[in-house]
Amino acid sequence: MARLGMLRLSHEKQDTLLKLLILSMAAVLSFSTRLFSVLRFESVIHEFDPYFNYRTTRFLTEEGFYKFHNWFDDRAWYPLGRIIGGTIYPGLMVTSALFYHILHFLHVTIEIRNVCVFLAPLFSSFTTILTYHLTKELKDAGAGLVAAVMVAIVPGYISRSVAGSYDNEGIAIFCMLLTYYTWIQAVRTGSLYWSAFCSLAYFYMVSSWGGYVFLINLIPLHVLALMATGRFSHRVYVAYSTLYCLGTVLSMQVAFVGFQPVQSSEHMAALGVFALCQAFAAYSWLRSSLTPALAELLLRSFMWLLLIAGSIAVAILALSGKISPWTGRFYSLLDPSYAKNNIPIIASVSEHQPTTWSSYYFDLQFLVFMFPVGLHYCFSNLSDSRIFIILYGVTSMYFSAVMVRLMLVLAPVMCVLSGVGVSHVLTSYMSNLELGRALSRTRSRRHPDHSYPGKQEVSSAVVLFLSFFLMTYTFHSTWVTSEAYSSPSIVLSARSPDGSRIIFDDFREAYYWLRHNTPQDAKVMSWWDYGYQITAMANRTILVDNNTWNNTHISRVGQAMSSPEEKAYEIMRELDVGYVLVIFGGLTGYSSDDINKFLWMVRIGGSTETGSHIHENDYYTPTGEFRVDRDGSPTLLNCLMYKMCYYRFGQVYTEAKRPPGYDRVRNAEIGNKDFELDVLDEAYTTEHWLVRIYKVKDLENRGHSRT
Amino acid sequence: MPLWKLSFAFVAFVCYLAASCEAQKTKDMLLSEKVQQLVDWTSRRSVIRLNGDKFRRYIKSPPRNYSVVVMFTALEPQRQCVVCRHASEEMQILANSWRYSGSFSSRLFFAMVDFDEGPDVFQQLNMNSAPTFMHFPPKGKPRRADTFDLQRNGIMAEQLAKWITDRTEVVLRVFRPPNYSGAVALMLLMTLVGGLLFLRRNNLDFLYNKTGWGIALLCIVFAMTSGQMWNHIRGPPYAHKNPQTGQVAYIHGSSQAQFVAETHIVILLNAAITLGMILLHDAASGMGDASKRKIEVRLTLHDKVQ
Repeated sequence: MARLGMLRLSHEKQDTLLKLLILSMAAVLSFSTRLFSVLRFESVIHEFDPYFNYRTTRFLTEEGFYKFHNWFDDRAWYPLGRIIGGTIYPGLMVTSALFYHILHFLHVTIEIRNVCVFLAPLFSSFTTILTYHLTKELKDAGAGLVAAVMVAIVPGYISRSVAGSYDNEGIAIFCMLLTYYTWIQAVRTGSLYWSAFCSLAYFYMVSSWGGYVFLINLIPLHVLALMATGRFSHRVYVAYSTLYCLGTVLSMQVAFVGFQPVQSSEHMAALGVFALCQAFAAYSWLRSSLTPALAELLLRSFMWLLLIAGSIAVAILALSGKISPWTGRFYSLLDPSYAKNNIPIIASVSEHQPTTWSSYYFDLQFLVFMFPVGLHYCFSNLSDSRIFIILYGVTSMYFSAVMVRLMLVLAPVMCVLSGVGVSHVLTSYMSNLELGRALSRTRSRRHPDHSYPGKQEVSSAVVLFLSFFLMTYTFHSTWVTSEAYSSPSIVLSARSPDGSRIIFDDFREAYYWLRHNTPQDAKVMSWWDYGYQITAMANRTILVDNNTWNNTHISRVGQAMSSPEEKAYEIMRELDVGYVLVIFGGLTGYSSDDINKFLWMVRIGGSTETGSHIHENDYYTPTGEFRVDRDGSPTLLNCLMYKMCYYRFGQVYTEAKRPPGYDRVRNAEIGNKDFELDVLDEAYTTEHWLVRIYKVKDLENRGHSRT
Repeated sequence: MPLWKLSFAFVAFVCYLAASCEAQKTKDMLLSEKVQQLVDWTSRRSVIRLNGDKFRRYIKSPPRNYSVVVMFTALEPQRQCVVCRHASEEMQILANSWRYSGSFSSRLFFAMVDFDEGPDVFQQLNMNSAPTFMHFPPKGKPRRADTFDLQRNGIMAEQLAKWITDRTEVVLRVFRPPNYSGAVALMLLMTLVGGLLFLRRNNLDFLYNKTGWGIALLCIVFAMTSGQMWNHIRGPPYAHKNPQTGQVAYIHGSSQAQFVAETHIVILLNAAITLGMILLHDAASGMGDASKRKIEVRLTLHDKVQ
């Protein structure tokens, strides 16, 4: 009779109950830990890029897929427009639209905005469950559970998947892990079912994120490693051939990817390994029916043939330009100093910076130490799938060191390997713990004495030790999520001196004012940061947005902002601008405002031919400082941006014991106070003066110049 | 009026005219002579070395129809001015680019004054820091913007070229001689690896050693997590010495940056903790004999032997 545990269940049922319970708690935990900003503020989309994704998703649900695929957006980059249908990864939008339609079919009428906000936490729950299955393949269910709980709260993943952060990475990590899980299954079983499933998962990954290039290079690398360690078998052959053929054809269905899989160098490794696979399989098959001497000859001739044919092919393709070289974005990952020396734009983006050691500890804490332990375990017990996870771990480790944004790709594998490590240590020491006399009797009969003095104490010490670390990991992760990664940045909050909270909702206030008080075809000029938000919330045509694909156009806007009023008016009339929007933080102390970004406007504005009259040096004082007070450069004090930000600010008292017109961000009393605007009319200033909107005056009635 | 007075006055007048003509001619000759002399010197060395005398004659005194960009420096070893040496190299690259370019003309010349060769020049211009780059325009005195702001722009030849274009409207293309050291290093590495593999071609088993690979990969992981890539890209200093108090700081104050010393401390800590965990792991799984495991567990936990 089987022994009955608690609740009069057999051990297997007890096992299943525990697993289900822990896994569902982990999934719920991963969903709920991402809800800080929704609880503190409201269910709103964060930042800038998610607003573009939200707008495209709304368009998809309203107009349908064919209109979405053919969409040419004339409300952005006026007068150029932008092709959206063929230049985005549609996976995210299609997923949200699918959920929306399914829910509406079931008469659960959730608004599309809420679907978008809560999609990333939902997919993180799915990722938790998938990590469990992935780690179970590598070691056992215990390791799977540990890894699942770790990935539920790891800050490196949470940073890009909080509720409201509606961005590609939210679903891309799920798709990536799904592809890896199905790949490991395909390699283990060699069945067409898993390989086809892997191709479908790969297609989903390609449609959701540009980081699919990592996958299509990691899987061939794994196949090569298996060949090198002599583990190549018919299973790997079936798995990889199916994946390559089906996966490539499917990936080319995504319009943005197009013909790249057969034309760009980033995909050539996969093709090369595919050819090598066929050669390897052919050689193995022939060898079985030949004598050893002939087999040796066959091997040599095969290798020489392959080498010669391969080099000729590569040379022809590279020289004829059919195969494009590695693009700058990916090349800078291989040669980190390339971007710094050659492409300053790539080097200046804050997400593309290399990673300091403190970022590793901040985002991963305990996992940084247990990751090598998991690696060591995998090395001691090599198998096909463990070789894969080792490769994944080390390559993502390198890439995360080069670019801080790729910490996201490292987080899941850190959890998997740490789960393996922690689980192994814990299970070994826990089995040494003697709980109750009955167990110890059976144990002493079956196992020879491996004990040493103090075994019980040592084991309990180790278990407590690890539990303590796991608890500190939980506290750290929750603190980091709450403090660092849960701000919506479209709504700000601060504490007033008496402890109550003040909410700054100026951005939305201004965008909705634009939406209700300007004509439908009005064109709004602002700096490119706010483009996506203006099109999504205010629904007005803009000149430049966050896509930043046309530097000349951005430069023109920069020239308009940095020139004096007359010149700026010419540029604004040329571009049909009706309204101008600026962000000003001087009253509240908000430091990411347009005056702090102004030098970039000057630099970009002066970088093209039409802006040759703009010199950055003119905006500095003679001593080389950037000042807005009366010692500031007169060019700065009379440019359009200055006037728009500080119009009427000279009469405002901002801080006690300070003169009127005291800018709280630059900590200075402004220099040019009482001026009138000649070419603009003030249209709207929000409650805390964060956003200021101006209307461009029409041409003078009698033909005189306005200034 | 007596005739002799008139004639004397006339002769004096003619003499004066002649002298002024002479003077005019010498003045004119002086200008073309100056330019010729400068072009000669430039053909011998792109950056003309000046002493106080030459400086006054060619740069300070009129007439001039050319601009001169002068570097005031102190290159003598006892002056110990490292920046002066870097600036001098950049100036040399720029001057060479100008001299060998197709658009070379006598509108712009490059020169340098060393402190030990022309201290009076430094005194005259009230200059007390080196290096300094000044532009002397053909007409008038140099203004505020004619001194190159090193603090803001650095000493790179490209920045100098941009400043010169701003001041003189002469466009300079900086041509840096190609750097072959990278290619040579790569060739050396490849021959080394190739030679090693060839020598051991009969016994390639060392490539199959799992432990070796394991240790290599672990080293890579430790290097990455301690921020070595950040060091490679940003090139921070080893540690920071506070000039006023003389205290050495090994850890950077902000989390956005780090020192090399800091990364070394972190890598040691990481390795120590990880090794401890690995020993714990090995001891538990029964790898190695009982006595070794005993020692491993005790080392890890600092447990007392009973």
